Amino acid sequence: MITFDKVSKTFPGGVQAVRELSMEVADDETLVLLGTSGCGKTTTLKIINRLIEPTFGHILINGKDIMEQDPIQLRRRIGYAIQEIGLFPHMTVGENIAVVPGLLKWSREKIEERIDGLLNMVGLEPDHFRDRFPAQLSGGQRQRIGVARALAADPPTVLMDEPFGALDPITREQLQNELIELQSEIKKTIIFVTHDIFEAVKVGDRIALLDAGVLQQLATPSELVENPANEFVDQFLGKHRFQLSLLTKTIKMVIYKSSPDVSTLSPEPPDSGLSARSSLIEALDMFKNTSRKALPVYDGKRFLGNLEKRELLQVITQVLEDTGGSS
Amino acid sequence: MRTYEHIYLTFIAMVIAIIIALPLGIYFARTRLVKLTSTVMGAVAVIQTVPSLALIAFIVVIFAVIALPTIGIVPALVALVLYALLPILRNTYTGIRQVDPSIIEVATGMGMKPRQILFSVELPLSLPVIMAGIRIATVWTIGIATLCGLIGAGGLGDLILKGLRSIRVDYLLAGTVPAAILALIFDWILGRLENWLTPAGMETTSPNK
Repeated sequence: MITFDKVSKTFPGGVQAVRELSMEVADDETLVLLGTSGCGKTTTLKIINRLIEPTFGHILINGKDIMEQDPIQLRRRIGYAIQEIGLFPHMTVGENIAVVPGLLKWSREKIEERIDGLLNMVGLEPDHFRDRFPAQLSGGQRQRIGVARALAADPPTVLMDEPFGALDPITREQLQNELIELQSEIKKTIIFVTHDIFEAVKVGDRIALLDAGVLQQLATPSELVENPANEFVDQFLGKHRFQLSLLTKTIKMVIYKSSPDVSTLSPEPPDSGLSARSSLIEALDMFKNTSRKALPVYDGKRFLGNLEKRELLQVITQVLEDTGGSS
Repeated sequence: MRTYEHIYLTFIAMVIAIIIALPLGIYFARTRLVKLTSTVMGAVAVIQTVPSLALIAFIVVIFAVIALPTIGIVPALVALVLYALLPILRNTYTGIRQVDPSIIEVATGMGMKPRQILFSVELPLSLPVIMAGIRIATVWTIGIATLCGLIGAGGLGDLILKGLRSIRVDYLLAGTVPAAILALIFDWILGRLENWLTPAGMETTSPNK
């Protein structure tokens, strides 16, 4: 658990980048720091690994104040991935990944194993990529290595500063999807900075929306979109409310408000149906790929009922009206 | 033989210059004392503009005043080192400064100590530029060393002077040709060294040999 206690940062010259930020990040949660340029999100991130020292306030990681720890040791236990990627051009992919494990004095075999494991995890064939140089890779491949490098020493916490910002939209989407899959496989607390609200709702378990150094709202994506806490949040959502609603509302939320007590025998295996947790957009996509008029809905293995396409479209139209229509 | 004297002179001067300029360049590249940096770099640049003959004469005069030997190797070395300083200092400084700051940021964020960053990241990445500075300095030193014949430092300059005084072409050639060849050879050797030291992943950035 990471606790922020009235964390503040004022730069010499008077700029108050972060103002009394207090919040708690749960273990294994992905918390997104969201906001426009200059809102303090990157500053907040860099305070966690002490690249920037706070002016006031405390950050406790599992109860230990970061200011009481040696910054070098602290950083070796926190993964760090940045927008510019920053792979060392004079080292191979394998050597890049091996940096922190090397600093922590892992054994040769352990490091080799870890390199291969991570390359597999990010979808890059180890034998092919291990000895390549960053200059020979595409942007998407490089950032996958960047993420692998951040995860190399298996740190419990990972910091990501707009990691996909420098990539083209298609690659960005791919990497977002890969990250989401990765999140379910590995247990890590991830603090993710972005200015893109769509990325935030896609990737985050909770979102901390900042403006001028002040926390505006800390909530789950659907909560943020449904119930903006103040006018700033409202304006930040702006004309994207319709799309965001479709992305954050799940079938379970709007159609099956409560699951039936009796679990009916499911007529088909769960894979061919819809997960109750899929968003309205995902449900729409499923219908797009099939000619059927209704799909079964499952909450895990439990069958909840059949969802008709017509019903889904009605719900979406309702959301359209609720959110004022424009997108 | 004069050639060996010449090489010897050049070599010693280069080693001293590197020992002074390299750490200084590293320090200046990383320090926040901008004023100090620009003052010293400026001073060294000024020394560079003084014609080598004049500088040698100047050193001789100063040495005479403070009662140091005014002929021979010592004053020669002082002059040569002063000239070799600038290319090495400036290139070391520039080389380190042009390392992508986001790489340094990531290295720091990963938990590398400043010294580890210097040796594992900054120096390997600035090596091509630093080596270029050393090559330039070496070639210049070989050339300027010929003037040191004037102050009895020996070397090929001695032959050139004899040739000038007695207008004997054979002496002149015996002095200038080896000097030119030496410069070319050393440039080539250092070029190979630079290639050998350049990390494989950076080959695209230094296409020259």
